[in-house]
Amino acid sequence: MTEHKIWDPFVRVFHWSVAALFLANALIVDDDSRLHEWVGYAVAGLIVLRILWGIVGPRHARFAAFAPTARGVTGQIADIATRRRRAHLGHTPLGALMILNLLLTLLAVCASGYMMTTTAFWGVEWVEEVHEVLVTWAELSVLAHVAAVLYESHRTGINLPRAMITGTKRVPDDIRIVE
Amino acid sequence: MTADRHDRIPWLIALIAVQSLCAAFFLWDVLEDMGPRGLRALSNLHIATETLAALALVAGIAFETRYLMRLLRRTAHLEEQVSIASGAFHEIILAHFDQWRLSPAESDVAMFAIKGFSIAETARLRGSAEGTVKAQLNAVYRKSGVSGRGALLGLLVDDLLDGGVMPERPSAPLERP
Repeated sequence: MTEHKIWDPFVRVFHWSVAALFLANALIVDDDSRLHEWVGYAVAGLIVLRILWGIVGPRHARFAAFAPTARGVTGQIADIATRRRRAHLGHTPLGALMILNLLLTLLAVCASGYMMTTTAFWGVEWVEEVHEVLVTWAELSVLAHVAAVLYESHRTGINLPRAMITGTKRVPDDIRIVE
Repeated sequence: MTADRHDRIPWLIALIAVQSLCAAFFLWDVLEDMGPRGLRALSNLHIATETLAALALVAGIAFETRYLMRLLRRTAHLEEQVSIASGAFHEIILAHFDQWRLSPAESDVAMFAIKGFSIAETARLRGSAEGTVKAQLNAVYRKSGVSGRGALLGLLVDDLLDGGVMPERPSAPLERP
């Protein structure tokens, strides 16, 4: 078992606070309340910070370090097909796709939500519909994300949720580390 | 030939992803249309047709995914082999693996064994414990009914020389008249 320090504190705090705020707004907080709006602003602010962090942050937080390539995605699915176990220290290619999907979707959710508060779009039906469709998409994405994290943890033997809490990936000795 | 196949894999993956989204949307739409009547709504010809079309799409995706996984397994082994002879041998090997009902992991391990990798090397390449590889290799020998690596290789080479289990003969420029 080797230990690798991967996720910096900002990445971890960002991950769990966005997760908590999104769940709160989607499931608990009343849609028409001021709180719903403020939670939305907080999510938007966090995502903007994450994007900046993705440009200037440490190695594993940078977009350049985990931008998914067709080759990487194919390789990861091939690992699944042949039951080979290779560990990525940073984000896996498929994981990176999900990150980009969630960042963009949540930004669009925030934008459409903000539009509903402006005088120009207040009560306009298509804006509301877009907001709701995007939220459904985000919810499905979150479910897929959680399922994939559990599957990959099981497949590779690396406890990924734990790594997102402690910042350290514990990699079994017999696995092959790529990149 | 192999490189050509390789280039198409990402497109196949993208296609499956897009089709999955479409299928999810159509299924959701069907469920909405059914409304409170549930399965009884299928007596409506339009809804029944919609349901069938959506299910056909899902079946197509399942088929494509299976095909993709097979393709990935094949290319994982064929990467550096472009000659027709090795391609033909590879086809024979895979035909046997199918016949013996080897699992994906067992096929991969068997392929490494045939190529002459030791158990330790195979374990390192596959990212698994040596004990696991040993157990998988034993399963391969048991399913194929041979005593060990030499016998396994012998069985496969025999078939290559006989031209026995060839699933489809390549146009065979290597064959003698």
